[in-house]
Amino acid sequence: MVSKTEDEQLIRLENQVENGGGGTWEYLSLVRKLKLRRSDKVFKYGSAILADPKKRSALGPEEWTLYEQVAIAAMDCQHLDLAKGYIKVLQGKFRESKRVGRLEAMLLEAKGLWSEAEKAYSSLLEDNQFDQVIHKRRVAMAKAQGNLAGAIEWLNKYLETFMADHDAWRELAEIYVSLQMYKQAAFCYEELLLTQPTIPLYHLAYADVLYTLGGLENLHAAKKYYAATIDLTGGKNTRALFGCGSAIAQLTRGRNRDDKDNSELQSLSAAALEKAYKQQSPTKVSALSSALRSLKVSS
Amino acid sequence: MAEDLVLDTAIRDWVLIPLSVVMVLIGVLRYFVSKLMRSDQVPDLKIVKEGQVIIRARNLRAAANFIPAKSFRARRHYYSNEENGLLHVPKGQAQNPQAQMFSDPNMAMDMMKKNLSMIIPQTLTFAWVNFFFSGFVAAKIPFPLTQRFRAMLQNGIDLSTVDVSYVSSRSWYFLNLFGLRGLFSLILGEDNATDDTQRMMQMGGFGFDPTRSLGAEKDNLDIVQHEWALPKFEQRAESVLKKLVQK
Repeated sequence: MVSKTEDEQLIRLENQVENGGGGTWEYLSLVRKLKLRRSDKVFKYGSAILADPKKRSALGPEEWTLYEQVAIAAMDCQHLDLAKGYIKVLQGKFRESKRVGRLEAMLLEAKGLWSEAEKAYSSLLEDNQFDQVIHKRRVAMAKAQGNLAGAIEWLNKYLETFMADHDAWRELAEIYVSLQMYKQAAFCYEELLLTQPTIPLYHLAYADVLYTLGGLENLHAAKKYYAATIDLTGGKNTRALFGCGSAIAQLTRGRNRDDKDNSELQSLSAAALEKAYKQQSPTKVSALSSALRSLKVSS
Repeated sequence: MAEDLVLDTAIRDWVLIPLSVVMVLIGVLRYFVSKLMRSDQVPDLKIVKEGQVIIRARNLRAAANFIPAKSFRARRHYYSNEENGLLHVPKGQAQNPQAQMFSDPNMAMDMMKKNLSMIIPQTLTFAWVNFFFSGFVAAKIPFPLTQRFRAMLQNGIDLSTVDVSYVSSRSWYFLNLFGLRGLFSLILGEDNATDDTQRMMQMGGFGFDPTRSLGAEKDNLDIVQHEWALPKFEQRAESVLKKLVQK
């Protein structure tokens, strides 16, 4: 997670670098520390440093870290020849290094030579089965080939050992949703809720999955999780408001509106929606009210 | 405790300064030796997995109220059932750490290497100091101290009449041994291997047993009362929305 101060610092540095104010190295270090994906910028500024021998040697031993960072960024930007050059430099410096081996395998992957890359990754994993990056690369590779079932298999294998890695759970949840395997996705989102119960997006995604699954119990739960999202976002999340409204509409369908507490939450979310639309996009208010009417929300 | 003792300047030149310099040099040397001998440890798959299980179970315990009761019960069963629960440790399997240490020669080897790099130079320097500089009064600190400090500052001098502010050479050795840590972290970088005091503490606390913490986590999980927090959120959401709409 990126904290607020770090985020501000990043934006400040980014502006500074873009306007030629220096601080490039600080910017690159921060990107690396926060594990952000700013490949285009990292490639542009990092390769400029690497091209200048004086600047490069001023970094001391950090020079090699920069080579690695820029090589990865270059692969992400499809500058494969340049990436190859950087990896060669690293190879010359660190012979037999696993970390450089990883880069080589990634280069194979970037070229689309799937079977070669796969072979390289598995031989690296044989040496060190705890390399989380390689496990994740394998998942990404399966995903890049459109082999979602394979990606799920790799992810499950990875999570069997590293079961506290919430990013992996999130990835798995999203793959399950895209394959419409909602029960499995619900489990993953529960796992995410357990690790970080204060993030509204997980509540929202879980509610979506429950709502899609349907059934009385799930709809009740979905309504509650939409409510939790509303609470955590202060009523600013439009999707949660819509979800809350439609979940309650589903629950009360075919019944008289005898549940008083339900209808209150429903009308309140409808009112909040109307207000938000009036403020932010007045042209779409009519569309909203017709949508709400179809849900029998507005009276 | 009559008049001040006069310390020969030769003592400063030939005892005090060489002693400090030697201590620093030995510290640096030891850092490099231990760096050479250090083997990168490959963690055991089982231990990594157990660590992760513990984190996950702890999360479950802390945030149990955020998931529906059914999901919570399913998870708890998964962790702590008696047949193949992740947190369940079969009785006979709980290895005691001592046995584990002897069964794994690598571990014993590592311990020995650590001890070698720690104890041998220390005994050697201590013997050296003892042999050459025993009974020296090496320095005087510029402020008076109470009698209690005698044992600390005048180790090796068995005179009760010398003022406590005089430091014997052997005590100077000890002061250096423990006081140079800050200097080492300056020369060798933050996390250097010459941290004697910490290593001594580690020796005391040796024998961490992961199976024990698994069992503790299981007990904790078993007594968790699940109370779904979400129904409360509905009311809170209502009040949030009311405020928002009225604004």
